[in-house]
Amino acid sequence: MNARKTNSRKIIFITMIIIFLGAAVPLLQAGGNLLIKNAHILTITKGELKGDVLIQNGLIKQIGENLTAPSGTRVIEANGRYLIPGIIDTHTHIALSGTNEGTDAITPEVNMADVINPDDTSIFTALTGGVTMVHTMHGSANPIGGRNVVLKLKWGKPSEELIVKEAYPTLKFALGENVKQSNRPLLPGRPQRYPATRMGANAIIRRELLRAREYMAQWERYQKLSRAKNPPANLLPPRKDLRLEVLADLLRGKLLARCHAYVATEMIEFLNLAKEFNFKIGAFEHAWEAYKITDELLAAGVGISVFIDSWAYKMEAAEGIAYNAAYCTRRGLLVSINSDSGERIRRLFNEAGKAVKYGLTPDEALKLITINAARQLGVDKYVGSIEVGKQADLALFSEHPMSAYTRCDMTIIEGEVYFDRDEIIKEREAAAVKKGGN
Amino acid sequence: MRFPNKKLKFKPCRLVLLLALAAVFVFFLKLRARADVKPAYAFVNCQVVMAPGQIIEKGKIIVRDGLIEAVGPVEKIPVPPDAEIIEASGLTAYPGLISAHTNLFLEVKEQPQPQRPEDYYRSFLQPSEPQEFPDLLVLKELKPKLKTVQAYHKAGITTVVVAPNRGIFQGQSVVLNLNGENLNPMVIKQPWALHLNFTTERGHYPSSLMGTVAFIRQKFYDTQYYAQHWKKYLFSPAGLKRPEYDPFLEALVPFVMDKKPVVFQCNNQEDIKRALKIIKEFNLNGILTGANEAWRVIEAIKQSGIPLMVSLDFKAPATSLYAQQGEVARKKAENELYPANAAVLQKENVNFALTSFGLTDSSFLKNLQLAIKRGLSPETALRALTVEPAKILGLDKQLGTIEKGKMANLIFTRGPLFEDKTKVIKVMVDGLLFNYEEKSQ
Repeated sequence: MNARKTNSRKIIFITMIIIFLGAAVPLLQAGGNLLIKNAHILTITKGELKGDVLIQNGLIKQIGENLTAPSGTRVIEANGRYLIPGIIDTHTHIALSGTNEGTDAITPEVNMADVINPDDTSIFTALTGGVTMVHTMHGSANPIGGRNVVLKLKWGKPSEELIVKEAYPTLKFALGENVKQSNRPLLPGRPQRYPATRMGANAIIRRELLRAREYMAQWERYQKLSRAKNPPANLLPPRKDLRLEVLADLLRGKLLARCHAYVATEMIEFLNLAKEFNFKIGAFEHAWEAYKITDELLAAGVGISVFIDSWAYKMEAAEGIAYNAAYCTRRGLLVSINSDSGERIRRLFNEAGKAVKYGLTPDEALKLITINAARQLGVDKYVGSIEVGKQADLALFSEHPMSAYTRCDMTIIEGEVYFDRDEIIKEREAAAVKKGGN
Repeated sequence: MRFPNKKLKFKPCRLVLLLALAAVFVFFLKLRARADVKPAYAFVNCQVVMAPGQIIEKGKIIVRDGLIEAVGPVEKIPVPPDAEIIEASGLTAYPGLISAHTNLFLEVKEQPQPQRPEDYYRSFLQPSEPQEFPDLLVLKELKPKLKTVQAYHKAGITTVVVAPNRGIFQGQSVVLNLNGENLNPMVIKQPWALHLNFTTERGHYPSSLMGTVAFIRQKFYDTQYYAQHWKKYLFSPAGLKRPEYDPFLEALVPFVMDKKPVVFQCNNQEDIKRALKIIKEFNLNGILTGANEAWRVIEAIKQSGIPLMVSLDFKAPATSLYAQQGEVARKKAENELYPANAAVLQKENVNFALTSFGLTDSSFLKNLQLAIKRGLSPETALRALTVEPAKILGLDKQLGTIEKGKMANLIFTRGPLFEDKTKVIKVMVDGLLFNYEEKSQ
């Protein structure tokens, strides 16, 4: 009996080891190996230094001078160019087949992870500007939009490999002009959608959250009854409602709210809602008037994801100021700069660079698109700075990335080169010669 | 005008006579146009491809009463005394081809397209009627035409699935034998499957792709709930409120609960993944169709083991990289990459059926030839148009090969099937013979 038992234990042990090894192998092969020599390294969190970065299996193995790599490792000569962590865009809509489910005002059941399009050429456009990660979101048409998704821009890889599972799951909210559709012409025969005012937007969100609470209570009642000794014969579970499931997850703290808002009053109202229903806010998006309410935002521990200087493009942006990002940073808020565009995304470093004009140091400005963004997305353990053990998401710039004369030469994700300017130029020249030859 | 009364007197009589004559004439015309019907046929001296790879060089096929009575080498099979002998030397007999996804005979009922710019704007903003038809039986919308049947015969196709083509929940398809233009005798399986498409509503929820995914999932969850509720209501003691009848969910019950087939139209590689996810979530008897980007998601398809029906339509989807890179890149992909879809599947040992979905009879043949040029073996092509679709349709005991007891669905060609100059000379469907030999031959 005993021998048999130990035997079966041995078998279980061995199979477990095999399973473990089987699982470990793809993990080990996940990333690339690289040695980047003689770079001006802006680590973001640990100052700057001149030297090399060794990458193994997609992770940063070593940072220092005169590093050597195992034979066969590709060596990239940086020649004193600037190496920074890959840029992170905290608010964009690229790589998706669809932006808004604009028919209903409340659509948390939709999930942007369902409609990733890895073929969207905006991914490549973003890579040319050193962007390695994006928070790609539902649009701002609805008070409660859909769930967003964080992607690494692994151009050419299948969609499921782009998703960053470690990032916070987030749900898009929106307030103000887009939600109340004040910029949409009224047509005869087409009813205006509720809400049409800012108080309406607040009220409809509140109503839905109350419904979600009631939904949670219904399920609790059902589970209690079904677990009882003699459950009622006619006991039926409540109807599964995908819309309310997601809102229930928000109330359970499993999702963070990311709220599109422009003016101070609507942000304060939303903070109050979060307090009343005890849900977490990841950040306010655009937040043009955040500079007016920094105390309240600090107290709530809510950051902002903003444009740098494109204010007054609509009524509710009239009181936006270009000092918003710099001032809020100085006040201690967690600030990131976003593109909200498939084009601006390739020059997000220029956008952050403008913050230098408005009072930040180049180091502080660079944080707006690297470590700050990573913290807002909940991935600062893995990316956002150049540190040993972090994922090797890097961008190589010809000049200091906050300089107006800089240009991104190379973009690396997990030790694999996804954009190499020299190579692309060579390819294009070869294609041009071939075309000319015909 | 002079003898109005006289004229009136005689007219009804003449009219009846004329009508009767016309009716007889039309009746004969119809008979002529339909097909020859004899008690039994014996096709002799033809090469017989019983199934892909199973060839009899000089064979004989006996057909009786719509079924194959015998098949074998010419010397081994006796000809029954009542059979009409058809000398078929120089011809090759194949099992009739099956296209398991078409919109044949379907009158397209599209919403009126906006003409002026302001109409266009309005059409997007103003709600129209929702386009959802889960309970639609496509059979009821069909008006078969002999001309179309004959055109498909010439492409070698004898059996089709006609699927509905509007909305997300499109309705329920039917399997037809192309044996004439009288609908009821054509039906093999009714309904066959529920068809879904990852499209959107216009001016209604869901108006976006992510909305569509959520909409489909919610409807499937609702169906589970609805069926559970009704079951409990009908079979448990009193004291339960009667659930409200819902025609939408009622139509879905056989597919969600009783696992009748659900066909997902996959317009690009991501649609395939979306479909696989939903099939898994609801444990559906799922089938993928369209899927002209299957070559890009081979691993996902392999792992799922979900049956695959691949259209020979090589149009690059708008979401694809190739369609975003300009006309030259798109045309190159549509000539090289997309036609190699089937060849890649063959290389990866994935079973698949080929369909003419999105194509006409002539473009189907042209594209099939291009797919073969890009590496698909004619043998796999034949399998993908006979044995595989028969299996997917659950009709592999009745269709797909030339075997004793199966439906007499045969095509006779001069030259190897799928080659450019090869012509289909005779077609037999359900034992009805159609001759397409040109008069000069």
